[in-house]
Amino acid sequence: MKESPYWNPRHETMPRDQIEALQARKLKNLVAWTEARVPWQAKRLKAAGVTAEAIKSLKDLQRIPMMTRDEWMQAQLEEPPYGPLLAAPQEVAIRYHLTSGTTGRIPLQVLDSMKDWEWIAEMWCYGFWGFGVRPPDIVFFAFSYGTFVGFWGAHYACEKIGCLVLPGGNMTTEARVKQIMTMKATVVCSTPTYALRMAQEAKSMGVDLASGPVKRLILSGEPAGSIPATKHLIEEEWGAKAADTAGMTEVGTIMIFECEKQPGGTHIIEDHYIEEVVDPETGRPVGYGELGERLITSFGRGFIPVLRYRTRDLVVRVPASGCTCGRTFDLYEGGIRGRVDDMKLVRGTNVYPRAVESIVREFKEIDEFRIHLYTAEGRQDEIEVLVEIPERDGANAERILVQLAKSLSQAHEGLRFGVKKVENGSLPRFELKAKRLQDDRTVIGTAGERRATA
Amino acid sequence: MKNAMGVELSDGERTLVECYQGLVRVLKSDPDLAPFERRNALKAVAALWQVVNGLDLDPGNLYEIGA
Repeated sequence: MKESPYWNPRHETMPRDQIEALQARKLKNLVAWTEARVPWQAKRLKAAGVTAEAIKSLKDLQRIPMMTRDEWMQAQLEEPPYGPLLAAPQEVAIRYHLTSGTTGRIPLQVLDSMKDWEWIAEMWCYGFWGFGVRPPDIVFFAFSYGTFVGFWGAHYACEKIGCLVLPGGNMTTEARVKQIMTMKATVVCSTPTYALRMAQEAKSMGVDLASGPVKRLILSGEPAGSIPATKHLIEEEWGAKAADTAGMTEVGTIMIFECEKQPGGTHIIEDHYIEEVVDPETGRPVGYGELGERLITSFGRGFIPVLRYRTRDLVVRVPASGCTCGRTFDLYEGGIRGRVDDMKLVRGTNVYPRAVESIVREFKEIDEFRIHLYTAEGRQDEIEVLVEIPERDGANAERILVQLAKSLSQAHEGLRFGVKKVENGSLPRFELKAKRLQDDRTVIGTAGERRATA
Repeated sequence: MKNAMGVELSDGERTLVECYQGLVRVLKSDPDLAPFERRNALKAVAALWQVVNGLDLDPGNLYEIGA
């Protein structure tokens, strides 16, 4: 029998009108479940005049109130530890996880039942299968198996698919590289940053990854998996294909994945989620091809119903026809483009960390970097990029510094960037989400607007 | 057997659905299952729920039986 390239062929190739009918039906069920089981949510729905009965089509989605992370956090603070968001008793849960702590005052805490946990792995299966991972594959996870949900679901997805799983928690980078090579791993899962870190380590160990056994990398946890320059560098260093995925603890798993055709974007798993893209200021929907903020409604985890949750992720949605794989699931072109709050205003110019990274990664001699914002002479905000350029392969550091400063300036309306070489190994390394922006400014803008102190 | 989208299920799909329904029925009705029977059946139900859900049969949630 011919093997399907799709995890769920019927859904992944469904005509758009049927996808929307499926979503409308699931939305009605989700609202009914929420009304019945989560009084806190039911009150919000009632205040907006929303009932399950009244949901007839996807147009009715717009009437459901959006939910913010602040509201979720506040609810948890008022009724710790989970807030009044649970639709089932804690006794039924088998997993506890929390957010990575990169956003917000307190991490969000979530629970999953046995069925929800299986569903979490199921979503990862769409991504792994769609990128060509199959039972004979040997999959290495460069992941510290802790309370951050990260690649947990991916681990179980690979078991479900029938791969041999190598759980690479609690290991040094050197030990991970060794195990990947000795166990002949064919797939490696990590953040984009850590994929590069392992490549650097392999070089210093004299290991040639590009001629090694790894054929595929599954990246997650940072937008960099869809930054072309970063992705190209990772693929070159590893001699393997890299796929971007993105998920969030709030739903427990991934909602988008890149298929084997690598269309420069990620498919939305539309049979399990409704993804909307809105103007972050007004909350109004934006069209195909326009940058906006993702809102997510999840049909998966029943334990904590998620309806129109504001993710703060910036995306550009395009039709499924942007990919040749045959899926009818729409795409986010360029994956997650960044966060609504990522943008920094430096002397009147917008600076996005992702844009800076995409330029820095064009210089493969640069091992690590940091974006540093500071106040000069107590009145002017400045930006500098600190880079590590190891002395190898005949790297001409002076030339790189000059070219990088020029490229950064050209991409930012002539904004002057200081570019400095720092000692090798002096910048922090990251296994999970990288934090490469340090904002030490006391004054924002030349007008001398004083920054609020935390 | 048709799903919620009006699609007729294949023989293999129908068998999987019946297997799921049978397990749920037993878990709901038989309080005397031994721990190894109940917990393994729950794991099987949690896995088969993904099939039934993926086949558009709207299985709902299973928290009342512990899955």
